[in-house]
Amino acid sequence: MPLSAYLTLSAILFSIGLFGVITRRNTVGILLGVELMLNAVNINLVAFSRFHGTEVGMVFSLFAICITVAEVAIGLSLVILLFRMRRTAIADQIDWLKG
Amino acid sequence: MTPEVVGFWVLAITLVGSALGVVLTKNLFHSVLWLALGLISTAGVFLLLDAEFLAAVQVLLYAGGVITVVVFAIVVTEKLVGEKISHTSTRLAGGIIVAAGLFGMLASIIQRAGLDKPRPEMTGDATAAIGMSLLTKFVLPFELLGVLLLAGLIAASYFARPEE
Amino acid sequence: MMNDPIALILVALLAPVASFLLLAAVPGLRRSGRPAAFVSIAAALASLAAAIRNWQLSGGEAVEPLRAVWDWLPAEKGPLATMGVLIDHQSTLMLILVTLVAALVQIYSLEYLHSEPPGSLGRYYAYQSLFVFSMMGVVIAPNLLQLFICWELVGVCSYLLIGFWYRKPEAARAALKAFWTTKAGDVGLLIGIVLLYRLTGTWDLVELRHLVEGGTVAAAGLGIITFCLYLGAMGKSAQFPLHVWLPDAMEGPTPVSALIHAATMVTAGVYLLVRTDFLFHQTPEVLALVAWIGGITALMAAILACVQTDIKRVLAYSTVSQLGYMMTAIGAGFASAGFLHLLTHGVFKALLFLGAGAVIHAVHSNEMKDMGGLFKRMPQVAIVFIIGTLSLAGVPLFAGFASKEEVLGATLAGGFMGPFLMLLTAAFLTAFYMFRVVFVVFFGPAKPAHAHAHADPHAHAAGGDPGFSMGAPLWVLALSALAIGGTFTLHHPESEFTLPGWLTPAAVTVALAGILMAWLTYQRQTISADSLAAAFGPIRRAALAKFWIDDLFEGIYRGVLLGFARIIGWTDRYIVDGVLNVISAWTLDGGDALRRFQTGRVGDYIFALAAGLVVLMLWMGGGF
Repeated sequence: MPLSAYLTLSAILFSIGLFGVITRRNTVGILLGVELMLNAVNINLVAFSRFHGTEVGMVFSLFAICITVAEVAIGLSLVILLFRMRRTAIADQIDWLKG
Repeated sequence: MTPEVVGFWVLAITLVGSALGVVLTKNLFHSVLWLALGLISTAGVFLLLDAEFLAAVQVLLYAGGVITVVVFAIVVTEKLVGEKISHTSTRLAGGIIVAAGLFGMLASIIQRAGLDKPRPEMTGDATAAIGMSLLTKFVLPFELLGVLLLAGLIAASYFARPEE
Repeated sequence: MMNDPIALILVALLAPVASFLLLAAVPGLRRSGRPAAFVSIAAALASLAAAIRNWQLSGGEAVEPLRAVWDWLPAEKGPLATMGVLIDHQSTLMLILVTLVAALVQIYSLEYLHSEPPGSLGRYYAYQSLFVFSMMGVVIAPNLLQLFICWELVGVCSYLLIGFWYRKPEAARAALKAFWTTKAGDVGLLIGIVLLYRLTGTWDLVELRHLVEGGTVAAAGLGIITFCLYLGAMGKSAQFPLHVWLPDAMEGPTPVSALIHAATMVTAGVYLLVRTDFLFHQTPEVLALVAWIGGITALMAAILACVQTDIKRVLAYSTVSQLGYMMTAIGAGFASAGFLHLLTHGVFKALLFLGAGAVIHAVHSNEMKDMGGLFKRMPQVAIVFIIGTLSLAGVPLFAGFASKEEVLGATLAGGFMGPFLMLLTAAFLTAFYMFRVVFVVFFGPAKPAHAHAHADPHAHAAGGDPGFSMGAPLWVLALSALAIGGTFTLHHPESEFTLPGWLTPAAVTVALAGILMAWLTYQRQTISADSLAAAFGPIRRAALAKFWIDDLFEGIYRGVLLGFARIIGWTDRYIVDGVLNVISAWTLDGGDALRRFQTGRVGDYIFALAAGLVVLMLWMGGGF
């Protein structure tokens, strides 16, 4: 399969992830959408890395995965904390920065 | 019809399907499961791309670690409320338009770039190459990553500490 | 220098201004009081000496005017304006009057104001020096621009001197009233001067005279000009209805009244008209106006003087009345007659004011009811005061006799019957009210001494005749009045018209009739003053209300000026501020509307982000 196929796949996944981030009400749901987007990026990186014959993209992708893990952990702990404070996990109800 | 092509299409369909499942299911728990499927399919894609090490890392960390954590979070928040959290979607129209628009742009860019050449031959072992660069060219980010993970660990445990 | 008139006049001019600058710039000297006074008096005497020497050199009437000018405002085709001096017959005589009265008044003030703190005294003499300088500036100005500048300066000095005791609210108000009223006239003066410049292209008096008498100036535009110039004279010379400031100006110290309101400042208006009479001769309608207003002023002021109880107010109204005389003569077309009366009036009115000052100084009150039988206590003052009164009444052998006759003759010769009758009636009243003062103050029963006539270290024995400082000026003026009177009675001044034979006896009879009336009423009490008052009831009431002219001005001020101010205030608050307030409100409302973008919801923000990204890519990417 040519490179463009992998890239197109990655683009589809990214768009779907974005859609999820925009439409989901639950905070955890939004985080899942973010996961999808990051995943798509990883596919992109590895595909480019393979088709250029270097391993740099894969290293980059490795780092991305690790950072994503850290981000998920902190994000979810923030969700739990928020839930404890306001008894809700629905993002639209967290609007205290309303101007 | 090489095995690679068949494998790609199968994995592609699975991936897209599970992605749609993540964003469209009403039940949050089901979303997580769809995500798990998607992550494992991604691992498959990595295998297609001769990135075995990454496939393993993907399964271990993502499918293993992240999903577990998310499930825990859902359980905790759901339990605290005592009822199932509803998660209907909003801003559907806007979301569709924006996502479709973005995809259109990306697709057109990819198309115009003309990346149709077949892949070059593999030279050497990818895993060995990754390991080598990690400890030579990318040793600084590697160490920093360690620090980051430590910070993340502390932060997460601090935020989620039990209430006094 | 002693033989060069220009240099002499410059000395006369610059001595007082040097004194003023010295006193103004050296606070130590000024605050020392009596040394400051001596500086100023020395300057005034120097000016007097220079003026007299200049007169000696001039040798009589028909002398060519001497002029010296220096460029002031340079411009391409010759200077726009010049400064300098103009010495001719009129300015020579006027200069003597001004410096003489100024010097005498300054000497007199040493004793009159002896109880002033030294700082105040220094301030007083600084103002006096400045005043002398500015008045002389008006007198010797060769062009109208310099005249106007010095004219305004005179106004400022009169404000400073009338309001000398500035802590007294009446004095402050009076000073302001004087300034405002004369300013109304000054606006007219400025307009007139500028219009004249536009018409003729020059400010210079000598050039103007040549242009006008040579017939090269269109008479059409001159009517407005002369009227505007007359407005300026009306303000300064207290013609009806701008006379209201002069009686109130009596709040100032009496020597100030003697200087400013008898001999010098108020005569500036008359002097202006005398100086520019060649312009006025081209506009007989304006001259007629001058004559009529002069007559009205003379009569009205004489009536008002009859009901005054404050001795200075009597003299103030008398001044207004006599100014009316001068103006009437000018209006009749004979400026020289008016000028003659100006000179004689200056002498005896100053005498009367200084004499009244001596009385006030002894009795510590301005009101005539507190005075009486003072002939025994202060015989010298009484004698000089009576000399002054006889001059004012126009009795032969005294100063005012000839000049009053000239004025009456001029009015008749000009054909102004109405003003003539007004002046004649005013003459009767003048004699009447002045001798009323004499009889009440100096004769008649003595009033008990006042409570405050005691712990004064400089007090004369029970308030008797004044010392040298006050007495000498009085005698100088009295003797001058006698000398002038005697000279003119025996050696009649030349006039441009013939006096009808019946005029002199008629005038003298009228004066004696007034004196007799006063004697009967106030000395012999044959005619009761009350029955007189009752007989003229309505006139008397109107006179006590000052013919409601003050009220008219106040009404105009409140109605027009304040009303206009209120309109402007409303416009400022509601329209000008209103526009700003509306803009501000719109800004705030706009801000509030924009606030709604900040919903605080993460989903909205991400949506906006993504949408913006897509739009950006579309815009930059162009086509698919």
